[in-house]
Amino acid sequence: MSGLASALAPIAFVNETALRLCRAVGVVAIALMVIAILIQVFFRYVLDNALPWPDEAARFCMLWMTGLMAPTAFRRGGFVAIDMVPLMLPRIPGQVLSLLLLIVSLAMLLVAVTIGWSEVTGFGGKFATAALYLPTSLGFDDWYRIPRSWMMASLLVGVVLLIAVNIELILRAIVSLLGGGDQLPEIADAPAGAE
Amino acid sequence: MLIWFLPTFLVFLMIGLPVFFALLAAPGILLWLNGQTNDITLLYRNVYNGMDSFPLMAIPFFMLAGELMNRGGITIRLVEFSQALMGHFRGGLAHVNVLSSILFAGLSGSAVADTSALGSMLIPAMEKQGYTRKFAAAITAASSVIGPIIPPSGIMIIYAYVMGESVAALFLAGIVPGVMVGVGLMLMIKVMADKYDFPVASRKYTWPERRQASLKAFFPLLTPVIILGGILGGIFTPTEAAAVAVGYAFIIGFFVLRTLTLKEVPEILSNAGLTSAVVLLLVGAAMAFKTVVSLSHAPEQLASLILSLSENPLILLLLINLLLFVVGMFLDAGPAIIILGPILGPIFTSLGVDPIHFAIIMSVNLTVGLATPPMGLVLFVAAAVSREKVETIAKAILPFLAVEIIVIFLITYIPALSMTIPRITGFAN
Repeated sequence: MSGLASALAPIAFVNETALRLCRAVGVVAIALMVIAILIQVFFRYVLDNALPWPDEAARFCMLWMTGLMAPTAFRRGGFVAIDMVPLMLPRIPGQVLSLLLLIVSLAMLLVAVTIGWSEVTGFGGKFATAALYLPTSLGFDDWYRIPRSWMMASLLVGVVLLIAVNIELILRAIVSLLGGGDQLPEIADAPAGAE
Repeated sequence: MLIWFLPTFLVFLMIGLPVFFALLAAPGILLWLNGQTNDITLLYRNVYNGMDSFPLMAIPFFMLAGELMNRGGITIRLVEFSQALMGHFRGGLAHVNVLSSILFAGLSGSAVADTSALGSMLIPAMEKQGYTRKFAAAITAASSVIGPIIPPSGIMIIYAYVMGESVAALFLAGIVPGVMVGVGLMLMIKVMADKYDFPVASRKYTWPERRQASLKAFFPLLTPVIILGGILGGIFTPTEAAAVAVGYAFIIGFFVLRTLTLKEVPEILSNAGLTSAVVLLLVGAAMAFKTVVSLSHAPEQLASLILSLSENPLILLLLINLLLFVVGMFLDAGPAIIILGPILGPIFTSLGVDPIHFAIIMSVNLTVGLATPPMGLVLFVAAAVSREKVETIAKAILPFLAVEIIVIFLITYIPALSMTIPRITGFAN
């Protein structure tokens, strides 16, 4: 058990640190989404000039916000589930079931990461976005058209982070199963959903 | 073989696999067993494409607008305004609780935000006036379900996107049912107030005092006017209206009421982002699930099964309401809509039920489920806010649940209640 606890500590630290950074980027992304759409509204209705990029830029930010912030919600127990059966079972069978469910989730995420990688590096990712460009010179003379793979990478990164969280949760479940649940460091609760 | 994905999905769901994984695991495993590995890639693509959507952006925006309003001291202005109008009635604070929920619903569209914001203010105030804590918590939880029924509404945006309906039509169709729930609860309070001799909250406000309270609540109350007016007037799309609502809430909080500080902004953005990220992933998974639902011909087979029970749409609507009510007891409204919408929607549309009407039946029924035991989300929030036991609140809420069930049946069997406004405004046929 002490071996498990010592394996859990660095993973928890890496996840905590990485996800804090991801949340910070996610906060910027959601703010940029709002700004992009307000610019779109302002230009279309006030200046009578429909800009081509705000829609795609906002979607770009939303996808990255989702990929970067969903793993925090998963870690904090914010993924909706009907957990009556694991809670109704006696302690050991309930915890074994929870562990099995985490293993099923991990298997799915591992399949998703292989598909995600081939999607990002494959044919679909080579197309360019419709209206997103990055300046590549200080004088704004040269522009680089952002490829779709940059958008598609959001889900892949999200899946990788979910795998890291899932491994931590599996280790926590094993420690709990072995009777060390009260020694586990606490994880903050997630906020509620669309309701 | 693909038809087995529904029972497999239900088993995964019942044993506690998170809905996001269950939506993908059941079809994924069966496709893999069927040797259709290429289609598993399609599942992944559908999750991504399902999330990559402009209309869906309204969800994080409305959540953010709600958070900004909540922190910006807007709740207290709504309560003061409600008190000025209804505080002098017997059972005044209970009426104020319901009216505040109706007004709050026009700003946030979240039952949880309503329960925590209004509950933390009104439950202690009601207790101080002699109401029991369980009654105060029960009426707070019961009235909070108006939040996702009156526009804007997160769950209606989800339904509209997953089922390809008009957000504006659903928003408009929710107005009358939401007000009916509010009026029904007030009637029940009136009956209980006379029977149990509830206190009055305050003396009758004079008209100048009422004008003062109205002025203080003016800017917050303008939000639904901007949102609905913008959408109906063809000025904004619902997503743009949601972004404008965020900008408006920000300006009010910082510059008009001056109750928000810059220090609070990162936490507000983070809360809205975290909540939205889970919902967006779920919607992505729902779009993948929906593809498999249509490929499996499950709706057709379920439709013939349901039609074998009865061919009378009125009886079928009764049965479906019972099913939705039971589902709502165990599952939150958003995930339930994501799961059941693609399965049940096409069946009832083919039976001649208007898709907007069916959407409202489903949304209202599952939203009421948020306040039903054993897994009602707002019951838990009300319990946390009031420090009363969930089971005690669950008993005290029963008269109010009865009212909400009556409203569900009224909107089910009188389509005009929900359909008149969208029809008059040209958003539904």
